[in-house]
Amino acid sequence: MPPKVGVIANPISGRDIRRIVAKANSLQIADRANMLARALAGLSAWGITDVLMMPERGGITGHIMRHLSHAARRGDSGAIDLTLLKMPVTGSAEDSRRAARIMAEEGVAAIIVLGGDGTHRIVASTCGDIPIASMSTGTNNAFADMREPTVTGYATGLVATGVVPRAVGVKANKWLEVRIDDEPPEVALVDVAVVTQQNIGARALWRTDTFRELYVAFADPQLIGMSAIAGLVEPVGRREASGLMLQLAPADKAPTVVAAPIAPGLIEKIGIDNWRRLRPGEPVFSSVEAGSVALDGERELCFDSRQKVSVRLVERAFNTIDVAAAVHFAAQNDALRKGARLAV
Amino acid sequence: MTRKISYKTAINEALDQEMTRDPSVILLGEDIVGGAGAPGEADAWGGVLGVTKGLYAKHGDRLLDTPLSESAYVGAAIGAAACGMRPVAELMFIDFMGVCFDQIFNQAAKFRYMFGGKAKTPVVIRTMVGAGFRAAAQHSQMLTPIFTHIPGLKVICPSNAYDAKGLLIQSIRDDDPVIFCEHKNLYGSECAVPTESYTIPFGEANIVREGKDVTIVSYGLTVHRALDAAESLARKDRIEAEVIDLRTLSPIDWDTVMESVEKTGRLVVVDEAHPRCSLACDIAAYAAQHVFEALKAAPQMVTAPHTPTPFSPSLEDIYIPSADAIVAAVGKTIARVKAA
Amino acid sequence: MSDNPFPLSLEDLMRAYRTMRTIRDFEERLHIEFAKGDIPGFVHLYAGEEAVATGVQMHLTDIDRIASTHRGHGHCIAKGVDVHEMMAEIYGKATGSCRGKGGSMHIADLSKGMMGANGILGAGAPLICGAALASKFRGDRGVGITYFGDGAANQGTVLESMNLAAAWDLPVVFVVENNGYAESTSVEFATGVDSYVDRASGFGMPGVTVDGMDFFAVYEAAGEIIRRARDGGGPALLECSVARFYGHFEGDAQTYKAKGENEYNRENRDCLKSFRKRVCDAGLATDRDFDQIDLEVARLIDDAVASAKAAPLPKPSELLTDVYVSY
Repeated sequence: MPPKVGVIANPISGRDIRRIVAKANSLQIADRANMLARALAGLSAWGITDVLMMPERGGITGHIMRHLSHAARRGDSGAIDLTLLKMPVTGSAEDSRRAARIMAEEGVAAIIVLGGDGTHRIVASTCGDIPIASMSTGTNNAFADMREPTVTGYATGLVATGVVPRAVGVKANKWLEVRIDDEPPEVALVDVAVVTQQNIGARALWRTDTFRELYVAFADPQLIGMSAIAGLVEPVGRREASGLMLQLAPADKAPTVVAAPIAPGLIEKIGIDNWRRLRPGEPVFSSVEAGSVALDGERELCFDSRQKVSVRLVERAFNTIDVAAAVHFAAQNDALRKGARLAV
Repeated sequence: MTRKISYKTAINEALDQEMTRDPSVILLGEDIVGGAGAPGEADAWGGVLGVTKGLYAKHGDRLLDTPLSESAYVGAAIGAAACGMRPVAELMFIDFMGVCFDQIFNQAAKFRYMFGGKAKTPVVIRTMVGAGFRAAAQHSQMLTPIFTHIPGLKVICPSNAYDAKGLLIQSIRDDDPVIFCEHKNLYGSECAVPTESYTIPFGEANIVREGKDVTIVSYGLTVHRALDAAESLARKDRIEAEVIDLRTLSPIDWDTVMESVEKTGRLVVVDEAHPRCSLACDIAAYAAQHVFEALKAAPQMVTAPHTPTPFSPSLEDIYIPSADAIVAAVGKTIARVKAA
Repeated sequence: MSDNPFPLSLEDLMRAYRTMRTIRDFEERLHIEFAKGDIPGFVHLYAGEEAVATGVQMHLTDIDRIASTHRGHGHCIAKGVDVHEMMAEIYGKATGSCRGKGGSMHIADLSKGMMGANGILGAGAPLICGAALASKFRGDRGVGITYFGDGAANQGTVLESMNLAAAWDLPVVFVVENNGYAESTSVEFATGVDSYVDRASGFGMPGVTVDGMDFFAVYEAAGEIIRRARDGGGPALLECSVARFYGHFEGDAQTYKAKGENEYNRENRDCLKSFRKRVCDAGLATDRDFDQIDLEVARLIDDAVASAKAAPLPKPSELLTDVYVSY
């Protein structure tokens, strides 16, 4: 029996106010469904047909079901047997969390995620060591892979079926844990920003005058969003054993100023007082008195002067499918070139 | 000062004078500028038949070419009217009303009543009506009765250039929604029209020919057919027909029509619309109800047949009520008329 | 008293709460009164969706106009239409907003920029384009808001109007109140792709999705969208996912909903509860302050119902006024 694979596709990722305050794109539902259809084609090439999917009300499910029923009617071989999880649909992040939990219980070999960094964060924090195959449909997409979905599905199939060994095709990732007082920690896959806005509101970050502290698990000047700020002063690789923390300040007073793309099409001057490497396991306490904490670019937690916020970098926190490593391994494997295991 | 100008020019002049007088008057419609955004002349058309030609040069962006979305732009004209503008929307052919009818009969027509008198909707919807243009079933109809059926709408249909100008200016100044029907076969017809601005009040029919023997009531193009018939009746039969041009269909001038019927005792109604539930029926029924004692013969109706407008010229020519048909109808009310 | 963490002054916060509470009480009371059989016709209740009307309209003044829907009571109240007159209108009384001639589905007050609830789905979209066009001509910086549901989003008028607003660059905001049901038919059943933001994209305007049960999410997103439109940035769409606490109309048994759906939404997604908790948690106000508003609103609604019941019916002569009668 080929293993099962889970799919969590968020229909409202990449729909926030950054369509207005920046120039963020708005990936259509039909395109998201087509991305998924391509990923499923990649999976089925390795004989995976059993797919569990999170139900949602944004239209991706309906579109993909229609796509599959058309394929079945035309007698396409390798048609996917898609099962929608039996769970209530709330239209909130809770859906992704619940779906990831059920998929873990069902023993899926991998979870394909279509969403932004926020969706990936929810799934990663819930699915334990099940590897995530990431497909970007969000706004900043610092974490999520920008790649043709067919190849992502193909690599996921290689890893899930064991054709490519886990040691090769699955990589461990860092994350940042945020704790307010003694509450259970929340995680961020890329960045934690502490801002003075003391409310969640429309969630996205775009008012730079409120930015105070930034913690990143990795930083790359090729990315956009909060981690771009860090990437522009000191790039940190995804596999490096450290992160970076920065104290931000008004651009006209700070010793270091970068022009950072904090959202698509939105480049802002950001002042930086100082920065340093963040060692794994070392808890750092925020010096901001009251405000909110943004996880991967979205305000999620509010705190006031009575509360203490701490941030900690954690290594080997969750797994992802390494698409490049998996397909390169396959390319060097003689048996695969002879058609062994191939389902198409 | 007066001079002879065409029905089309009179409409253009009315729009021009009102736009000059009142900055809240704006024009919207498909191709009313004609050529907006295209590489050639900015106002290439001035309306599909050139009625608004030249206004863009004078009034610029107060004329808006619209997407081909009748619901959206007619609705927008109505919305703008409810917000203090005096928009004149052009809906090329009355046949297109079907695609935006909700905005007209459920929105514009009802605002004032439905909102307890607290809303005005001074919008004019100009539209071409009538057959004879070889334009077939979907560009030739006389759908006036559909609009006269709706309370809250005013419906106007001028038969000549003088009336067209005065009634259009009145329509723009009126605080209710007005369906202004322009007969496409009258655009070239000329008569003396004052250069200055003037209005013709609504609800005043025009006795275009006086007579004592029979009352012929009509509007639009068929007023001219009625006049031809009256001329023939006078010449051949020594019958003096009184011809009444309704000019405004809602409100309608019952007094003038009924006084005439009381005088002549005979009524022939000529309507280019289909016979069922038409202006013709309406007027005949009203006469039967109110001046029955004065009637010397049953009222007669001359209308288009109850069919769609045919395309072939040979069929279309017999579709439109003719002077001969009017003479024949008069013959049914007076024994001495010879068959035409 | 701690610092105000919200993007509204305390006074505005309390005003927003009062508006939402007034809408809720108005609707809850209609639910009761309708069941008694005292109210003619039918009513469509807005309870549950208060954060949308309030979060959007806190950014508006009388110069801005809204075109509402059959579920229009909330929009009216948030636009400042007199609650006594509204209640009297719903009872069909001479003292009503429309002197008893419009009823629940046609409450309007053009002096307040309220262009009418509307019995025709999707009909408000073209009208608001006209309102925005008028503002553009006058240069008064007015913005037009049109509300419609997930059902009316399938009307040609709405789609045509999106195109018109985009083509003419009108200051219009299209607000989709997506409560998941077009009368009784689910969104999933009725559309090929049930994203309204996608439709906006197709016409070249940005669209944003927010949780319509969260006042602060609506307030912030609407604020940016309205400011953009006011400054000449063009039209945009705001999709608010909401829950309708009652049926399509009063008397609807709602058997098409899942078991426990209303209870879940009332328990977990009530915009009033979450608003109150957040403001209290921030130390800006206490439960007593909110209870006081609740009390005042309850009195207002009691009084509105009592005076509506006691008000005179329209005189028979009213039948023939406010319209040209030519027969």
